[in-house]
Amino acid sequence: MTFPTLRSSFLAAGMATLASTVSAETISIAIGHQSMCTDTYTAGVVVKELGLLEKNLPRDGKYADVDYDVSWADYSSGGPITNQMMANKLNFGVMGDYPLIVNGAKFQETDSLRTLYVAGTGYNLKGSGNSIVVPVDSDIYSIDQLAGKEVSTPVGSAAWGMLLKAMQDNNISSADYALKNQSPAVGAANIAAGKIDAHSDFCPWSEIMEFRGTGRKIYDGSETGVPYLHGVVVRQDFAEEYPEVVEAFIKAVYQAGEWIREDPIKAVSDMEGWTGVEKEVLYLYFSKGGHLTLDPTIKDAWVEALKFDHEVLAKEKAIPPLDFTAWITEDYARAAFADMGVDYEAEKAITVDPKENNAGLPMEVWHARDGISSYPDMATFLTALAEMTSTGAKLNASYVYDSETGLKLFGKTAFWVKTDAGYATFLRKGEAESHAAANGGAVISFEDAIADFTTEG
Amino acid sequence: MGAALSLITRSLGRDWRRLLFWGLAFALMSQVLMMVALITRFGALPTYVTFYDWPGNVARIIASTPSWSDIPPIIAQEWLIEIGRMNYDYGNGISEWSLSVVPSRLVVLFVLGVLSGLATGLARGDGCSRTARRGVAFATGGGAVLVAMTNATMSWVVCCATPTWVVGLAMMGLGVSTSLALERLGPVIAYVGFAVLIATILGLALRRGGRPFLNTETTHA
Repeated sequence: MTFPTLRSSFLAAGMATLASTVSAETISIAIGHQSMCTDTYTAGVVVKELGLLEKNLPRDGKYADVDYDVSWADYSSGGPITNQMMANKLNFGVMGDYPLIVNGAKFQETDSLRTLYVAGTGYNLKGSGNSIVVPVDSDIYSIDQLAGKEVSTPVGSAAWGMLLKAMQDNNISSADYALKNQSPAVGAANIAAGKIDAHSDFCPWSEIMEFRGTGRKIYDGSETGVPYLHGVVVRQDFAEEYPEVVEAFIKAVYQAGEWIREDPIKAVSDMEGWTGVEKEVLYLYFSKGGHLTLDPTIKDAWVEALKFDHEVLAKEKAIPPLDFTAWITEDYARAAFADMGVDYEAEKAITVDPKENNAGLPMEVWHARDGISSYPDMATFLTALAEMTSTGAKLNASYVYDSETGLKLFGKTAFWVKTDAGYATFLRKGEAESHAAANGGAVISFEDAIADFTTEG
Repeated sequence: MGAALSLITRSLGRDWRRLLFWGLAFALMSQVLMMVALITRFGALPTYVTFYDWPGNVARIIASTPSWSDIPPIIAQEWLIEIGRMNYDYGNGISEWSLSVVPSRLVVLFVLGVLSGLATGLARGDGCSRTARRGVAFATGGGAVLVAMTNATMSWVVCCATPTWVVGLAMMGLGVSTSLALERLGPVIAYVGFAVLIATILGLALRRGGRPFLNTETTHA
C-alpha cells in the first residue's frame, strides 16, 4: 500500500469518525475553556450558558444548509487545551497569556499546523489577577520577607511568570527561596493549613482564599507593571475555512462582556451557579471598578506584553520561537466589530487604568438579604456597616479600594488607616503604615473602623 | 557480529512466546506500579476513570494534519484511558492527579520488556561467571529503569496539568528547577537506557558467538 493510498484510507476512516470537522451538513465547533479562571469567562462559560455563539453563527450564503454542533470542554489550565487543539479535538482555546504563548509556539514548531490569536477576553493593565498569598495568620507582609521561604505556584502559569518577575524586581534570586510546583487547589489547601509560606496563583484563587478567610494577599500582580491578559486562539485551518464562524465567536465574546456590564450582580450570581466560584469573589472581578476590563480588542501594548512573556518562558522552559506577526491577527475582530456596528479602533484606543478609573467610585456592601448598596464616602459606608452589624444582619462582603493602586478590595482584608482626615484603605501593610506615619494616623482593624461608628443602645 | 545478530534473531524466533509475555508484563506492570505510586503518594484512591476513543482520535489526527512528520508526535500524546482523582473543594472540581494510559508509551514499554527478556534469556544461557551475571543484571535493570522512568504517564495538576515524565520525580520531592532541567533530557535518557540494553544484548550474543542457545539454567553455579 502506498503512502497516498494509506493516507486516503485514514482520511476516509477519519472522516467517518470525525466529530469536529466537517461533513456536508454539519460544522462541529469545539471550544476549550476554563471555568476556574475568571478572565476567560467572556469567551467561556458566559458564551456557553447564554448560547451566544449559536445566536451569532452564520445562517446564510454557504452556511444556509449547515447544521452546527457546538461542544465545550472545561479544563483547569491552558496546557491541555493546546494538546487537544493539536489533535484537532478543539478548534478554539481560551487561556491566559503564558499558556497562549506556549500554544502559539508549539503550533509554529510543527511543519503544517498553526493557531491564530484572534481576540482578547479581558485584561488588567497593571497585572492584577495574579498575586502572592500567605496564610492569614502569617507574619509575612511583604515580598522581601520571602527570602529563605518556601513559595509554591503552578509552574508554567501566568502566576508563575509574575512570581519570577516579582522576585527579580525585588532582588531575590531563585537560590534565595524554595520554589514548589503546586496546583491552585492544592496551593489554596496548603495556605489554609499553613503548610506553605506563600503561594502565587492566578485569578480568582487569591481572592477565593481571602474571601474564605484562609489567605492574605501580600503582593499583587499590578506591582510588576506587566499587563495580565487572556485571549482566544483558533486553529488556522479552521479559521481559514470558516472565517465567519470565528467572527461569530468574537461577536459572542463582545456580547458576553456587554451582558456582564449591564447587570454585574445578576451576572456574578449566574456565574456562581455555572462555575462554583463564590459570587462575592466574582464581583471583585466583574463589577464596576473590578479587576477585569472586558475587551476583545488586541492592543499594541498586549503584543509587547506577550513578547515579554515569551522571553520569560524561553529563558525558563526553552520553548520554541514564536513569530508574533504570523500568529496575531486583528482581521477577524475587525470584521466582527464592523458587523456589529462597533468602532474597533475606538475601543482599541481605550485602556482602563484602575488607579484613574476607580478614583471616586463608591464603597459597597453586599447584604445577604437586601443585595448590594453603595456609599460615596467612608463615613456613610462605615455607618451603614455599623448599623447592619448591630442588627445582626448577615453581610456577604464589603468592597473598598486600595489608596495606592485603585484596586478593588474586600473591606475585611484591607489594611485600614485612621487619620484626622478620615479613613483610608490599603492592599499592603507597609503602605498603610507609611501613610499612617506620614499623616499622624494609625493602622487599625476593620472591626475597629466599624466600631467608631457604632452607637450604644 | 554476524553470528551475534544471527543468534539474537534465532533467540527471538525460538523464544517469542516468553518475550511476548515479558513485553506485555512490562507494559501492564508499569501502569499498575504508577497507579500504586500515585495512590501511595497522595494517600487516596482514584475517583474517576475516562475512556477515550483512541482509534477515532488517531484517525482524526491523520485526516487533519497535512504534514506526515507532524503526525507521530501528536498521536504519541493521545490517551486511551485516564484514571485519577477529582478535587471538588473549589468550583466544579479539577483533576488533582491522574494516570494516563497512552498507547504510544505502551509500545515503548512493550519493546523494553522484550529487550529485557531477551537479555535475561541470553544471560541465562551464557556460561559466564556470577560476577558477570550480576553485571548483566545491573546493566539490564539500569537500562530498563531509565527507559521506564522517562515513559511515565502520570500527571499532577501542579505542573499546570502538563503531562510529563518528570511529574514522577516532582512527586518524589525533586525541586522544580531540577525537574524542568531534567525534562529536556528525557529523550536522551531514554536513548541511553535503550543503548545500554542493546549493548548488553549484543555483548552477550558476541560472548556466546556461535554457541547454541540454551534456554536453560546455567551449569556453572
